[in-house]
Amino acid sequence: MKLELQHDESKFLIRLADTSVILGQRLAEMCSRGPFLEEDMALSNISLDLFGRAEELYKLICKIEGADYTPDDLVYRRNEREYYNIKLVEQPNEDFAWVIARQFFHDLYAETLFGQLTTSSNAELAGLAVKVLKEIKYSHMHAADWMDRLGLGTEESNHRLQYAVDHLRKYIVEIFDFDDLDRRFIADTASLETTWRNAVSAKLQACNIEEKEIVTPSIRDFRDGYHSEHMGNLLSIMQYLPRAYPDAKW
Amino acid sequence: MDKFEQAFNEIIEKDLKVEPRDWMPEKYRKNLIRQISQHAHSEVIGMQPEGNWLLRAPSLRSKQVLLAKIQDEAGHGLYLYSVAETLGISRQEMNAQLHSGEAKYSSIFNYPTLTWADMGAVGWLVDGAAIVNQVSLQRTSYGPYSRGMVRICKEESFHQRQGYEIMVQMANGTPEQKEMAQDALNRFWEPSLMMFGPHDADSAHSSQSMAWKIKRESNDHLRQRFIDRTVPQAHFLGLTIPDENLKFNEETGHWETSPFNWDEFWNVIKGNGPCNRERLDHHKKAHNENAWVREAAAAYSSKVETSVA
Repeated sequence: MKLELQHDESKFLIRLADTSVILGQRLAEMCSRGPFLEEDMALSNISLDLFGRAEELYKLICKIEGADYTPDDLVYRRNEREYYNIKLVEQPNEDFAWVIARQFFHDLYAETLFGQLTTSSNAELAGLAVKVLKEIKYSHMHAADWMDRLGLGTEESNHRLQYAVDHLRKYIVEIFDFDDLDRRFIADTASLETTWRNAVSAKLQACNIEEKEIVTPSIRDFRDGYHSEHMGNLLSIMQYLPRAYPDAKW
Repeated sequence: MDKFEQAFNEIIEKDLKVEPRDWMPEKYRKNLIRQISQHAHSEVIGMQPEGNWLLRAPSLRSKQVLLAKIQDEAGHGLYLYSVAETLGISRQEMNAQLHSGEAKYSSIFNYPTLTWADMGAVGWLVDGAAIVNQVSLQRTSYGPYSRGMVRICKEESFHQRQGYEIMVQMANGTPEQKEMAQDALNRFWEPSLMMFGPHDADSAHSSQSMAWKIKRESNDHLRQRFIDRTVPQAHFLGLTIPDENLKFNEETGHWETSPFNWDEFWNVIKGNGPCNRERLDHHKKAHNENAWVREAAAAYSSKVETSVA
């Protein structure tokens, strides 16, 4: 199925929707694999919020497009190159430090972004942004607390967090390499970046993690549907049933 | 009989609740810890067979419902561990007993989930059987356990509906979906009947538990209630119960089934089921590979406490 979006607003929104659904899927992988039961439930909760957020955004897209396809079609019937999530969220759960660093980086970005969308001229989007902002604040708090525990806990946890942060920062540059579409729908792209960078620097310093110099990687832009190799594997698992039984209803 | 024992017996006799601070016979305490920790471990290990399909759930809705359900199970595990803790055992001890094999969990979770229809069958049959048992346990004599069951039952009935909804969808779907639904019923029917435990005559802990009102109804009694409730549901789905001797006895008003394969039941309990090793290994792996996270949290909290002091 070729699902081509016609409207600029939905082309922008699908970046947010895809980012939510892919991070939700990654967190769902942690189910029954958390360090203890309470944390297992917390990660499931955040994952549930992300799937819910994605579904609402896909519904908005279908509405804007006046589409005869559904949110499920968008999730289950597009291939890697038709997905527009930031690469950060498709990175694997190498260990709990990766889960936390990825979440912290994402939540800071999402918090400022959805914060700006609360004043969107699309009333439905603005309303949705208000709702999800509450969820993101909890998730952000959860990740920030774990950044402290891991960064300042033991030597091992500090090393693991440092390693995760070093790897994941590679996928940050593209997030702020805004295009015209971003500039049209995000009120203040410059402050999105500065808010994020300042908050991350402050946090890394506070939790004893070094912010190393990194060379801008040549990884091509998520806005053009470029991914890391992890993406195809993630989709092949997620989309298995609707792909294997195209006529079935679930 | 001293006055403490007399008071305890009176509580049981009058159908009142035993509370954590009440005196209780050591065997009553041990029996409860065994049963409640087994129940808690079942909730937690039960997350795995469903987790097996979580990433492959075929729609956004089914994925969210399944994830919420598994999360409920983790929550039930937590309530139940807390109930057991009121009897003087720690979660760490219970975890160690699970890993050493000293503590059991329900054998049903040692069966693999092979297709998406199994998410339907597990909710419909496994949660359905669990509810019949748990509704009865709402009247158990130990107060915290009884109150925990009231709460858990509310959520479990939602789980069973979730499972049945998947079965309805599959049974009315494409021929392939219907085949998956029948196959799931075939595989889970007998194991779910055996969830109620051995026949009353062969049940090691039953008679004492009944006398103490920890258990309120016998294994066979509860099993029959489940069969009578489930057979018409299968017929409504247009599925066939995999038992050629199944028949309705007009006189008793009950459905009668073939004798079960108890050899398989005992073999799975002894550790030789399809996934016994895998379930425990999965749990141990998550626990052990994340030991550094728990150590970091403990180290951090002691540092923070020190600096505040």
